[in-house]
Amino acid sequence: MRIVSASVDGFRNLKTASFTFSPRVNLVLGRNGEGKTNLLEALNYFALGRSHRGAKSDELIHFDQSHLHVGLDIEEESGATLACEYGLGRDGGRRLRVDGEALRRRADLVGRLATVFFNPDSIRLVRGGPDGRRQFVDQGMAEIDPVFLTHLTAFQRALKQKNGLLRDLKKGLTDLSTTRRELAAWNRELAGHAAAVCLGRWQYASFLTPFSNESHKSLTDNDLQLDFSYAPRLESVSKAISEAAENPISKDDLEREILAELDYIMDSEIRRGRPLIGPQLDDFKVVLEGVDLRVYGSQGETRTAAIAMILARSDVLFQKRQIRPVLFFDDIFSELDRERTRRLQEMASHLHQVFIATARRDDIADWQPEHMKTWQVNDGEFSEI
Amino acid sequence: MNRPGNGKDLNEGGEFQSPSLERLVRSLNRLPGLGRKSATRLALHLVAGSERTTVPAEELVAAIGEARDKVTNCERCGAITEPDPCRVCTSERRDTSLICIVATPIDVLPFEKAGFYRGRYFVLGGLLSPLDGVRAQDLPFGKLQDRIAEDEIKEVIIALDASVEGETTALYIQRLLEGRNLELTRLATGIPVGGALAYTDEVTLQRAFQFRRTF
Repeated sequence: MRIVSASVDGFRNLKTASFTFSPRVNLVLGRNGEGKTNLLEALNYFALGRSHRGAKSDELIHFDQSHLHVGLDIEEESGATLACEYGLGRDGGRRLRVDGEALRRRADLVGRLATVFFNPDSIRLVRGGPDGRRQFVDQGMAEIDPVFLTHLTAFQRALKQKNGLLRDLKKGLTDLSTTRRELAAWNRELAGHAAAVCLGRWQYASFLTPFSNESHKSLTDNDLQLDFSYAPRLESVSKAISEAAENPISKDDLEREILAELDYIMDSEIRRGRPLIGPQLDDFKVVLEGVDLRVYGSQGETRTAAIAMILARSDVLFQKRQIRPVLFFDDIFSELDRERTRRLQEMASHLHQVFIATARRDDIADWQPEHMKTWQVNDGEFSEI
Repeated sequence: MNRPGNGKDLNEGGEFQSPSLERLVRSLNRLPGLGRKSATRLALHLVAGSERTTVPAEELVAAIGEARDKVTNCERCGAITEPDPCRVCTSERRDTSLICIVATPIDVLPFEKAGFYRGRYFVLGGLLSPLDGVRAQDLPFGKLQDRIAEDEIKEVIIALDASVEGETTALYIQRLLEGRNLELTRLATGIPVGGALAYTDEVTLQRAFQFRRTF
């Protein structure tokens, strides 16, 4: 997939402009606050149906305008071009269109434009709490398996319901005799979805590891092993996974084991008034040659590992669905040493299409990849150089 | 916020020069599926249309009043009916050993319209959903059990939504009726008749595949 061209009007501080992008490397130079990230955000909005920074419509619209409009020509893997556009208004209005046809639901957007985004926050993938890693894996797996997404959504819904029931019980709003049977029903509904979610997460970690390891080796001059592995919260799941080599996992068996584990803890959950175990507490380990980077990683190591994971996500998407996503690298070179910067640039030269925003000219001074286009941005105004 | 010219003070009491019209629009607006614009259109149609186009408001008021007085939920199955018990429950041509569990009275209608089903119904009046304040104690499961015992039911068909709440309610009922000498079945999920395979969502397709039949 590629973004062939774009027109931007009324987006944050960006001046009205049209762009024709390079099919390969697109470089945006400018000091902090001039509008580099805003352009990447405007392009990536269409992939997610929202701002990747979590900004509301009001914040995205230029301060003296009442609405914004962004048009994108996207080249699909088949070679066909899709004319996509979106508009946001201060009155809360929102329009997304593909080839002139309005998209009603955000779900209709999924897969129209596949992107992978790196920004300085991405190191939270390694160093931050488990929720960031779960989200990374869940999104990655949902991209390649829509059935996984359905189970994940159903799991989250059922978990909320069970949580509500336990809360009601603790407040004395419902009586214990019927509630046990009711909790058992929620556990059964949860177990089926939990088994699918856990298996999906395990699979995704196993898809990701060879690629992230390979990218990591290309980025560094050492030969250290980077492992990304699933650390499930449920014992039934850990056990099934540790025995998977000799004993292939059956989803039905796993569902039964998970249900037994959930039912076993029911009394404690009733006492505490909330769910105590389940995939909602899963984590993933990021281990470099035996060292857990979540805890012991240096700044450079965590950053390199996070970049390797992001690149691997794009590789998995291509391997499983033959989709090459557009990559966005926002401020990716800072805190990398000269050698790793050079190696990353070498890799970026061979990516399908990449958008790189950087404030530091020095970092890209000696880099001359083929098919590179460069823009300088000053106060929201872009000039091609 | 009471600066002059912000528009608020210009249309006090709503957009009409009539508090009673505003009240009518607001009442209609509270009906399901009726937005402010449609509510306004209906209200104007009812009270300010020409004589030729207007449904006499008195007729409408009378119809609503009469329906409210006469329509009730069947005391046996919970379906919407005027005679109580309803015709399905009293009909001698219905198979009394068959019972179909649905969530709401509306869910009875497609079955009756299609006309193939020969058994009776049991309307739960909702699905288990603690977030909406619906727990097992709020649904008539005791009545369901009595009904199954009294009528010597041989088959229970669960026809609930294929949602998280519908599935959980079905699982609850299954456990509740375990050990009884009866057949418990559920509606199948799959590709709609006349539907295009290419536009079937992945999950429905997976289910249809999983439960495929020998030809």
